[in-house]
Amino acid sequence: MLKIKNLHAKAGETEILRGLNLEVGPGEVHAIMGPNGSGKSTLASVLSGREAYEVTDGFVDFDGVDLLDMDASDRAREGLFLAFQYPVEIPGVSNMNFMKAAVNGNRAHAGLDPIKGTDFLQKVKECASLVELDGRLRDRSVNEGFSGGEKKRNEIFQMAMLQPKLAVLDETDSGLDIDALRVVSQGVNAMRSSDRSFIVITHYQRLLDYIVPDFVHVLSGGKIVKTGGKELALELETKGYDWI
Amino acid sequence: MTGSKESFTLNFKAPEFSEELRSEGAEFLQDLPVPNRKTERWKYSPIAKLLNGSLKTFGSEGLVWPEEILPDPVPFLNSYRIVFRNGTYVSSLSDFPVAEGVVCSPLSEVDSVEFKNTYHRKEWVGAMNATYHQDGLFLTVDKNVILDRPIVVHHLTDGSDTASFLRHFISLGEGAGAEVVVWCSATDASSGMCNSLLEGHIASNAYLVIDKVCNEGGEIFKFSHEHLIQERDSRLKINTFTVKGHWVRNELEILAVGAGTDSVFNGTYMPTGLEHVDNHTTMDHAHPNGTSSELYRGIVYGKSTAVFNGKVFVRKDAQKVNAFQQNSNIVADQGATINAKPELEIYADDVKCSHGCTVGQFDKEALFYLKSRGIGTDEAKALLVKAYVGDVISSVDRDEVRNEIVRLYSERHGWE
Amino acid sequence: MEPTEEDKLLNEVTGKSYEFGFTTDIDSDTIAPGLNEDVIREISAKKSEPEWLLEWRLNAFKVWSEMEEPEWAHLEYPKPDLQAISYYSAPKKKKEIASLDEVDPELIKTMEKLGISLEEQKRLSGVAVDFVMDSVSVATSFKDKLAELGIIFCSLSEAVQEHPELVKNYIGTVVPQRDNYYAALNSAVFTDGSFCYIPKGVRCPMELSTYFRINEAGTGQFERTLLVADEGSYVSYLEGCTAPQRDENQLHAAVVEIVSLDDAEVKYSTVQNWYPGDEEGQGGVYNFVTKRGICHKRSKISWTQVETGSAVTWKYPSCILKGDDSIGEFFSVAVTNNMQQADTGTKMIHLGKRTRSTIISKGISAGKSQNSYRGLVKIHPGATNARNFSVCDSLLMSDTCGAHTFPYIEASNPTAQIEHEATTSKIGEDQIFYCQQRGIDEEEAIGLIVKGYAKDVLNKLPMEFAVEAQKLLTISLEGSVG
Repeated sequence: MLKIKNLHAKAGETEILRGLNLEVGPGEVHAIMGPNGSGKSTLASVLSGREAYEVTDGFVDFDGVDLLDMDASDRAREGLFLAFQYPVEIPGVSNMNFMKAAVNGNRAHAGLDPIKGTDFLQKVKECASLVELDGRLRDRSVNEGFSGGEKKRNEIFQMAMLQPKLAVLDETDSGLDIDALRVVSQGVNAMRSSDRSFIVITHYQRLLDYIVPDFVHVLSGGKIVKTGGKELALELETKGYDWI
Repeated sequence: MTGSKESFTLNFKAPEFSEELRSEGAEFLQDLPVPNRKTERWKYSPIAKLLNGSLKTFGSEGLVWPEEILPDPVPFLNSYRIVFRNGTYVSSLSDFPVAEGVVCSPLSEVDSVEFKNTYHRKEWVGAMNATYHQDGLFLTVDKNVILDRPIVVHHLTDGSDTASFLRHFISLGEGAGAEVVVWCSATDASSGMCNSLLEGHIASNAYLVIDKVCNEGGEIFKFSHEHLIQERDSRLKINTFTVKGHWVRNELEILAVGAGTDSVFNGTYMPTGLEHVDNHTTMDHAHPNGTSSELYRGIVYGKSTAVFNGKVFVRKDAQKVNAFQQNSNIVADQGATINAKPELEIYADDVKCSHGCTVGQFDKEALFYLKSRGIGTDEAKALLVKAYVGDVISSVDRDEVRNEIVRLYSERHGWE
Repeated sequence: MEPTEEDKLLNEVTGKSYEFGFTTDIDSDTIAPGLNEDVIREISAKKSEPEWLLEWRLNAFKVWSEMEEPEWAHLEYPKPDLQAISYYSAPKKKKEIASLDEVDPELIKTMEKLGISLEEQKRLSGVAVDFVMDSVSVATSFKDKLAELGIIFCSLSEAVQEHPELVKNYIGTVVPQRDNYYAALNSAVFTDGSFCYIPKGVRCPMELSTYFRINEAGTGQFERTLLVADEGSYVSYLEGCTAPQRDENQLHAAVVEIVSLDDAEVKYSTVQNWYPGDEEGQGGVYNFVTKRGICHKRSKISWTQVETGSAVTWKYPSCILKGDDSIGEFFSVAVTNNMQQADTGTKMIHLGKRTRSTIISKGISAGKSQNSYRGLVKIHPGATNARNFSVCDSLLMSDTCGAHTFPYIEASNPTAQIEHEATTSKIGEDQIFYCQQRGIDEEEAIGLIVKGYAKDVLNKLPMEFAVEAQKLLTISLEGSVG
């Protein structure tokens, strides 16, 4: 599904990723943990094509296509989804219009006609119930005036709408209380399947109680320095990152 | 006869220095029109009445310094001092810094000054200054030299139908620093015009702080033009306080000619009676990464008028500029007027610029709260006023200067 | 949903080049270029006007002759040669038209191309259209239906003949002849325009609509619109403008006057997409318009405009809030791209007690264009407890354009409360990225964000117009990314 080889990337003059290697197979859930500043969020940004980062070396194969060769919207249309750590507010653009544009952008890429109004509404209803997204939030402007928890639910709602092949969850647990965390995790778990993979980026082990990973990687200094099973996360929780 | 542009300057005498500037000034004086209500820059501050006066320039001879005005306007401030009266330098009351890397003297005693300012090519008021300037502060501070004490520049007008012309020049070398207090006083019996211009150059990494105070009795038409040029990473803070003045026009132009400059400029005005106070500011960001912050607050009482015009330019390529401008006004009495025109002209896209302008009243809730605690209406208002302009006055660094400004405002407006 | 006329119109517009740039081949009755008293007499005679109107025109001409073209706006353009313009151009076939069948087929074709076939309009949207083509009204519909309610909606020339007392009573009372250079010129030479009168207490049941086109090569257009809403009445008026493509600049100097009597409410909406010139700034319309309304007691005037066209725009729809408790509103989106220049805004003159005004202006600049907001809020000494709230935002889409804000605030009453705020910002890169990450391409993302940015204003437009306006925004900004 995803093969990252020797990935180097910098922001401005600072090199953040320094030869990162990672392989994610279909249906797998990989957790990436690490101390602040280790490059976790950079990895999410580089994979999704944020322009502020420059890839200086390395290669990323995404289901047979060269990921780094595409612009951000084409990566999304190929099935890469990023759940943002800090979802941006877009005043005046309703969540529904936004999602419709996104769904149709993806459909056009797949050679499909724009979605029918009734089908779209049905889909919205299903996906919203998955994360208990309030009907009112659907009609509001994208993320505008949403609480932290509402923003994160909205991210998972969008993921459900777009049905990606690979979802990258960037610190999705940050700023969530335990109830919201449970709801968001339920949404993610409901979407786990044999052909959909996840990369879960988190600082704390807490999230991994809800979304149980197949693999846990520790990122430090821009590289993966340790890989293990889900028990690695517990070990990190008790011993801290200095232990690595 | 009175009223014509030509006759107005008949009795102005120019001393014999800066000949080149004077002759250029005289040419423009002839060509430039007297601004009227149709002149956009002067539409709220017509000066037709000025022309009705028959003014003359004074020399220093034969006058006694009036008792009611202290030569040192900021008591207790440990400072240097240069004193002018009706445009002329008063040597006996002045006290200059003597230090390595600092040149400070009256302008009339300097051999040649390279003025860069071109205000005289644009405005009749400026052309008069270039042609007739009598004296002023000359200050240069060398690289990495920090002036140890502020310099107080004090100008007094005490004649009737006086025309005074001051021209100050300040130049700070790289990494240098200086503080200047520009203070103008006038006796209650005085009348005429005070026309001053200040040109300041701030080299990279240098800082300049100016506190400008107008506390003039009498009936003076006051034109004050400050032109400051900031090079890379330099800092400027200039506060303009109009405590008292019959007709005051403060023009402030800040030009950032290097990247990373920081400019802070604030002001207050509280005209009463028939007074007129006009603040025109221009912040010109021509280079990237500059920041500017502007806060002007005023209350207009009686039948007075206040004008605020703040321009912010962000030129092409001046990316990442962050410019903030706020002007707040209270119209206190029926008959008073505020005319405000905050302007933004933006030619670069990656910038953050905002301005806000309000006209309002005292917070009724706050007023009621104070009164409910047994404070009388006037006193409660005074408290609120003091807090309102106090925010701005608090940006003055020196306690002595700040206290004196508060004292003068208090005295005038009956605060506690 | 059936495609509306607006959708059809928009499909026409969606081509990148200006699709309305066609010329209708009709014999025109055109006066030789130039301006003098004789020309004015000729215009007046051709229109069989009463003597008082000729006198009024001649007086305006005298006033205009003594004025100079203003230069205070933030605009740069060659001054139009007003002596090279023909001041009258009317389709020759001037016989009475009883039904659409009698209209010149060429004209019908033009209307269809514009997407405003009257038949369709009637059937689909219930909008009455007064179609002004080169100064003379050629067809008016729904007249009978409106007449039942006592509403008069006709060309101004017709009103001069049929309702002279109304015209004489109100013309020039809101925009006096000497108001400004172009208003004076218009007063002297105006050829036609719309007239609308809503009687006391009547709520006009449909949106009244006018489309203007500048058709005849080298013909300046000097429309004059007069709208009178009598006590307690309500009307929503739409004005849409398109112009065919021309090489030389064309001048448009219209005057719109609105009288909103006690307790009346007038909504005046404009979508303007006149030819803006090409990418190098060749051609395009000069749009120098004076629009003003006067509000009597407890009445309300609401201006909404979406400006995407014209090479040079100079326009300040204003409200004189004369009556106590009256309300003025101004909602504007102005888009400039390529070499366009716009200097637009409003004036809110508060005279009455407890008068309120709201200004929301959203400027969007792209390409090498210059976009200025210029507004005046004036509180007179007698306007006790007047309120104003203004927001003027600018969005910059390129590093070669300019966005400027020139608000004038004049307050002479101690109870005045004015709040003005303005911000200038770049379109958010993180917003574009967020959209892209969801599979929306950059161009579409920008369209979405811009529509969101302008939403507060677009929402004020009547439904049919809003769709058109949104599409126009996107079209105007096509290719402006990066």
